[in-house]
Amino acid sequence: MTTIMSIRDLNVSFDTPRGMLEAVRGVDLEIEAGTSIGIVGESGSGKTVMSRAAMGLLQGRNVRRTGTVVYDGQELTAMTREQVRNTFGTGMAMIFQDPMTALNPVRRIGSQLSEGLRVRLGLSKKAASARSKELLDLVHIPDAQAMLHKFPYQLSGGMRQRVMIAIAIACKPKLLFADEPTTALDVTVQAQILQLLRELRQELDMSMVLVTHDLGVVAGNTDSVAVMYAGEVVEYATTKKLFAGMRMPYTEALLQSIPKVDHPSGKRLSVIAGRLPDPIDRGAGCSFAPRCQYVQAKCHTEHPPLEADPDGHLFRCWFPIGGAK
Amino acid sequence: MAKISFWLQRLAQLLIVLLLVTFGVSMLLRLIPVDLATVLLPVGSESERAVLRAEIGLDKGPIAYYLQWLGDFVQGDFGKIYFSGGTEEVSTHLAQAMPRSMLLMIYTQVFALAVAIPLGVISAYRAGRRADRIISNTLFTFSSVPSFAIALILIIIVGTKLAWLPTLGYVTYSEGFAEHFKHMIMPVLALSVGLIATYTRLLRADMIAALREDYVTMAASKGLSDRRILWRHVFRPSSITLFTSAALSMGGLIGGAIVIETIFATYGVGFEIFAAISGRQYVALQSTVAVIALFYVLFNLVVDIASGFVDPRTRDRRVNA
Amino acid sequence: MRKFTIPTWFSISWLGLMFFFTIFGWLLPFKSWTTVFEDDLGVAPFSAGHLFGTDTNGYDLLASVVSGTRMSIFIAITAVGLGGLIGSVLGITAAFLRGKVDTVMVTLFNVGLSVPNLVLALALVSVLATNLDINQAVPTWRRVMVLIIALTIVIIPILGRIARGATLSWSNREFVTAARSMGMRDRNIIIRHIVPNVLPALIAVGFLAIGVVIIAEAALSILGVGIPDGASWGGMIARGRNDLEYAPHVLYVPLVFLALTVISTNHLGDVIRSGLDRRESKV
Repeated sequence: MTTIMSIRDLNVSFDTPRGMLEAVRGVDLEIEAGTSIGIVGESGSGKTVMSRAAMGLLQGRNVRRTGTVVYDGQELTAMTREQVRNTFGTGMAMIFQDPMTALNPVRRIGSQLSEGLRVRLGLSKKAASARSKELLDLVHIPDAQAMLHKFPYQLSGGMRQRVMIAIAIACKPKLLFADEPTTALDVTVQAQILQLLRELRQELDMSMVLVTHDLGVVAGNTDSVAVMYAGEVVEYATTKKLFAGMRMPYTEALLQSIPKVDHPSGKRLSVIAGRLPDPIDRGAGCSFAPRCQYVQAKCHTEHPPLEADPDGHLFRCWFPIGGAK
Repeated sequence: MAKISFWLQRLAQLLIVLLLVTFGVSMLLRLIPVDLATVLLPVGSESERAVLRAEIGLDKGPIAYYLQWLGDFVQGDFGKIYFSGGTEEVSTHLAQAMPRSMLLMIYTQVFALAVAIPLGVISAYRAGRRADRIISNTLFTFSSVPSFAIALILIIIVGTKLAWLPTLGYVTYSEGFAEHFKHMIMPVLALSVGLIATYTRLLRADMIAALREDYVTMAASKGLSDRRILWRHVFRPSSITLFTSAALSMGGLIGGAIVIETIFATYGVGFEIFAAISGRQYVALQSTVAVIALFYVLFNLVVDIASGFVDPRTRDRRVNA
Repeated sequence: MRKFTIPTWFSISWLGLMFFFTIFGWLLPFKSWTTVFEDDLGVAPFSAGHLFGTDTNGYDLLASVVSGTRMSIFIAITAVGLGGLIGSVLGITAAFLRGKVDTVMVTLFNVGLSVPNLVLALALVSVLATNLDINQAVPTWRRVMVLIIALTIVIIPILGRIARGATLSWSNREFVTAARSMGMRDRNIIIRHIVPNVLPALIAVGFLAIGVVIIAEAALSILGVGIPDGASWGGMIARGRNDLEYAPHVLYVPLVFLALTVISTNHLGDVIRSGLDRRESKV
């Protein structure tokens, strides 16, 4: 298998009036071609920043990014913005969380869809328009021709998300970042969108990075999972292994906080007590220690490294679930 | 249809405002503690004044006077300007003055927007950096300097010291294209400086807000160039606020134009107002103010409609509101 | 509290100086602004005895501009104060009572706002300043009164609309509902809860309004219906237009004073408003 993207020691911080806010700390990830990987964590865990930084979409004078990102043999972190831009659309693409805010409110669906086709693929106006219609068909939007002339606000949430997916896959990218693609949607629509993404991945032979706060979404849709907490990867394994036995107390807590259909209705959902640590002043020790139910003295003073068990299951914990290393 | 009834309602509102404005001016005139006929015809005989009173309704009560004025106004009779040698129609004066003022305002708006749009886009794109700081601070300073001050300074330096441009008068473009523009440069500059500052500031703030939107990141992830994103995705939504404010600034512009037209003696509507006041031609004043208010209100209505076409969201929001 | 920037310090000092001139200007050892120095006609600035020079009539410009300051600032503060008071009472009441009172008030504000500021002021001044005997000049004190009344009327709808808008947004907050549910009387709710919250926004716009009034006063004087005889900044500008070719400094002196004052009030209004925005975004 070839590697489509490899991230090495990625750090992202924001220069704020209070000090440096470390949003992503030393993340290493390999994404194999044709696979899909889930990035899971609470909001504020750095997963969205990580995926945007990997693509090079973070802009602004207060952003500091270090580390290397190699996409398809090209080192993105050493390229000019112009060169990085040339990998967008045809190489990498992104789906955003809220299709209402990610679609330009004053431009028609058709022009937003064909824009990438014309700029990146150099299609003529007519060809781009025809291709746009095909794309809308591909994401199962009924009456595609009429849809091209509509504005985003005239569509339902699910339809908008389909439009956004169509825009993202328009130039047949090899790697698709999906940033919480279903969070803003109803549960039934969520399932449809996930199904659609599965289909498209097969059809277009795409790799995918699925960013979500919901372990349930990851379960049937990814080959491997990286769990992020406070800007770090705290657990990494194939999806099968992870659900067979998670080692990191945080992942376990995250799983317990998902509502399940078969739960007795009287039973309370467990929530993870406490909050994420201050991203500017994190202190020593394990970042999860203040909220961890298995916490011991060592956790407060020494920062655990990311270690692997014999299966290749990585975790960042002094006292992992299921026994010592 | 909901849309039509919405616009009808809006039109009715504007009509009420217009009626109240003209009624207010009319009442003001009747408040003057002097006999209007004497003011209008200071050297005329008593019988001439009696004829005048009957003609414009000064012998009736204030409300009857207003209704008569309104009836005439609607039919295009704006009243007369009285002087010792006879009378002149206000409408003749306005017919000459209106195009001049309109041209002045159109030039001013076009020039202000043409300068403000690139400045606003640059300073939003380079927000917080040196280019932005220089643009923003310079413009803020200029925005506080009234147009007549700029006009006077221009006249002193460009008109008198350097003698590059004529300082007085107006030349129609049929009389000479180059001369026409030469006479317009300084009035347009004086009027547009404040507008440029306002527009740039507005556009900058709006575009900075828009640049933080997800759809900008989305556009970037499509592989579009910064230039394309800036103009196609960011400028377009922000331009709605800009053009709306351009329309709303017409009122202030008319006010500023009175002074500027007087200083440069371009004989536009502003100058007509000045002349009506200094010559105590109250009927002319009443009609001219009414015409200005009418244009102002109509202009706002047109902008309302136009912005509905540019921004599809407002179209719906308004109808639902 | 953040530290003030240099422009903010400058604005405060300049306005302080103008205020000082307004109140104590007549105590300072300046020359009389009505004295004609016949030997010093059109003297340039920084010459002996005349710091800002004289105009071609022989009036000392330093003395003129200090007494002009008194007139211009007095008119501006009085008009904005009165207009702000009346406007905010009307605006707050309208927004709080809603219904018919509100509709009428909004329409009246719109009527005021649909006529350009200067046109409204011009119409009012020209009507109010008409003498019974049209051949007699209107005395200066009456012109000042008329100007103040006219400019107050211009300010009322501007600040009234701001007060109404702010009241509307604050009267929907929980603490007002809470006060109502505790049986607090409307008048007390307005005084205790609405006014303290609406006031900062009004003060910010009030600063901008001072600039508007100063400019309007000068414009009216240039048009010949304001303060005559160089007794205000506008009056000085109007008189200085005659000296435009020979002694432009006669124009520069009042123009610089006027511009610096308007820049200062606009800047302070801005500082207050951005401070408010920050407070709002924290709430």
